[in-house]
Amino acid sequence: MIGHIASRLGQALLASFGVLTIVFFIMRLSGDPTLLLVPEGASLEQINQLRHQLGFDRPLPIQFAAYLGDLARLDFGESLVQRAPVLGIVAERIPYTVALASGALLVAIGIGIPAGIVMAVARGTWLERALAGFVLAGQSLPTFWSGILLILLFGVTLGWLPTSGADGIASLIMPSLALGAVGMSTFARMTRIAVLDELSRDYVTAARARGLSRGQAVVGHVLRNAAVPVVTIAALEIGNLLAGAVIVETVFAWPGIGQLAIQSIQSRDFLVVQTVVLFVSLVYVATNLLADLLYALIDPRIRMGA
Amino acid sequence: MRLIAAAIIALLIGALPARAQPKDTLTVDLPGDVATMDPQLQWDTDSYTVYRNIFDNLLTRDVSGKIVPQVATAWRYTNDTTIVFDLRSDILFHDGSRLTPDDVVFSIARITNPALKSPQLSQFDQIASAETTGPTQVTLHTKSPYPALLAQLVKLSIVPKAYVEKVGDTAFNQAVIGSGPYRLKSWQRGVQTNLEANEGYWRGKPFFKAVTFRAVPDSATRIADLRTGRADITRGLTPDDAVAMKNEKALKLSSIATERVAYLFVNALSGPTKDKRVRQAIAMAIDRDTLISALQQGYAKPTNIVLTPANFGYVADVKGWPFDPAKARALIKEAGAEGATISFITSPAYDRRLNEAVQQMLEDVGLKMTIAVMDQPTYLRRRLGTPEDAGSLSQGRWSCACQDADGVIFPLFRSGSVWSKFTNPEYDAEVDAARATLDDARRLAHYHRAFEILREEVPGIGLFQDEAIYLMRRELAFTPTANEAFFVYDMKWE
Repeated sequence: MIGHIASRLGQALLASFGVLTIVFFIMRLSGDPTLLLVPEGASLEQINQLRHQLGFDRPLPIQFAAYLGDLARLDFGESLVQRAPVLGIVAERIPYTVALASGALLVAIGIGIPAGIVMAVARGTWLERALAGFVLAGQSLPTFWSGILLILLFGVTLGWLPTSGADGIASLIMPSLALGAVGMSTFARMTRIAVLDELSRDYVTAARARGLSRGQAVVGHVLRNAAVPVVTIAALEIGNLLAGAVIVETVFAWPGIGQLAIQSIQSRDFLVVQTVVLFVSLVYVATNLLADLLYALIDPRIRMGA
Repeated sequence: MRLIAAAIIALLIGALPARAQPKDTLTVDLPGDVATMDPQLQWDTDSYTVYRNIFDNLLTRDVSGKIVPQVATAWRYTNDTTIVFDLRSDILFHDGSRLTPDDVVFSIARITNPALKSPQLSQFDQIASAETTGPTQVTLHTKSPYPALLAQLVKLSIVPKAYVEKVGDTAFNQAVIGSGPYRLKSWQRGVQTNLEANEGYWRGKPFFKAVTFRAVPDSATRIADLRTGRADITRGLTPDDAVAMKNEKALKLSSIATERVAYLFVNALSGPTKDKRVRQAIAMAIDRDTLISALQQGYAKPTNIVLTPANFGYVADVKGWPFDPAKARALIKEAGAEGATISFITSPAYDRRLNEAVQQMLEDVGLKMTIAVMDQPTYLRRRLGTPEDAGSLSQGRWSCACQDADGVIFPLFRSGSVWSKFTNPEYDAEVDAARATLDDARRLAHYHRAFEILREEVPGIGLFQDEAIYLMRRELAFTPTANEAFFVYDMKWE
């Protein structure tokens, strides 16, 4: 088990390094930020002077080596746009991102899993068809549109919720709904398939034969068996929620790392982008590792196999 | 029953409708967060909007655009490169220390020091030196006669020497101290900036006790904030947004023609547009009035030259090319350029619809136009690169933030400038002469001739003067200005 974790950790670090390398070079190949920073009308000498001061006139491999050297000392550098330590800039956004991802995950799981179970159990009824429509809508509505609709309904027309910003729980509700909708649909569909798959097995028939009601059989036996694929989805979903919040954060002016990432990409604030990417890839890797461990907890066969 | 449920939900989540805001706080929705609070570093519009309320500037502009005193009370040239400023002696920084000539000298030395890596350096690097020459006097030397100096000094915020030296550049940027009408109370990065009134401000107590600048990137969300009273004023709206808001009862729109000119760049050194006749034909193929009425919803004023009336050096009597597709078609035929491919380079920062309208207009007169969209840094790299790589045509919106022709047509068309894809010794001589004298009448005469050359040679086509659009609560009194200044001190409830 420990060997397994160590090898997964090794892979994880390698993957993060690969992502970082790709981002480092792609960002720089498409132009440095000097031209975005200088006022209109700056002369070539002035542009080159600023480029030299910022260090972007050095060969790329040297810039990369210098960056890795700093990173090895846990020095994430200074944002060239905001002129403040990058670590602080990214760290300030993380609580907001975690809050939004948690809210969205709550929406996704809290609605998605029960909906999936009901769709499986009530297969072929009007209830399944109604829920299927709901799930399809969650999956298909783009967040930049559903977000604006939510704002218009709950913010402008009803006046129940704040239209933008990050002032406590109330501000979190609409972004969580908008962001959680897609994940909710994924959970509902995966749960439905997993539960349907289990319902056709012999142990369910055996449980019913022992006198358990259909509900007791589902709660007592089916759900645990159906959990493995759902946990996998949950792990992937956390990564998606962190990385995919860009649009939701922009629409609701929610100050998470998605918004920071897009702004930093636009202004070519390299060090901030790299740190955000590093953080997101580490979270991705960590949640997948966690999912691996959870399997073993849920399903003893995996534990023994390992 | 539903009302009760709604009230309970509202209570539970603590979100009563935000209309009941304290009236002595002004809330401003900006498209982005402040990049740096230090006024000598970044100068993107959002940063500029916020920190200019915290600092005083050496000079400022009144509502009509005239340069008027602020920290400096008077100024005089002692020769073409030396200017003496008399300063106020009654200005205090927010920490209680007095603003002295040393602070002014320090501010100039700091922003012109390459080690600060200020992106604003190029606006001030004609200043050779500054020195304290009296208890309330500073003398500035420029490298050569520099007519745009006063216009640039409007943007020079005065920072406190003792404090900056004590805490260092990084700490200063986090917790700035200025002498302006508002002091920095808190800065929640990515969320909002809170300012509070400087009660002892030398020009008198500010009307609003506090100001909150919020970062709200999506314009639909900013509009929703205005409609629910969560914000009192916002900017950065499109003409379409403005039209949709015209009938909101609680809100009003205010727009102003700015110094920003929308223009088409025409590559005179490479491709089919190397032929002057093709450039002239393109100028005659463009229907400005349609662009303004259809795309700008009327929020723009046509201009014949690549400059706006808000800039010094604007000459109204240089004729534009009339919209004349028949003549354009004939000229293209004469040049043997029928069906020639005009490559148009652009980025998402520019209005896509305008690109497509131009494409349609050029195809109507017998040219083909391909549009290549790239991200902004790539676009700038090509546009500022070699003539062969810069495309034949592109859209631009230019503002030097100095309201002077020198900041517009010099970098755009003078040979040797990175933006220029045009060479004409006579033109170069005129714009060089205009920047070498302080005599306004002579400068105007030089610009007049320069614009006549540009009219004939068409290395660029002026389209319209852009308008800045503000949406605000009906009770707010605010007069927008051509340089897009946003001084909360000048606002109040009616």
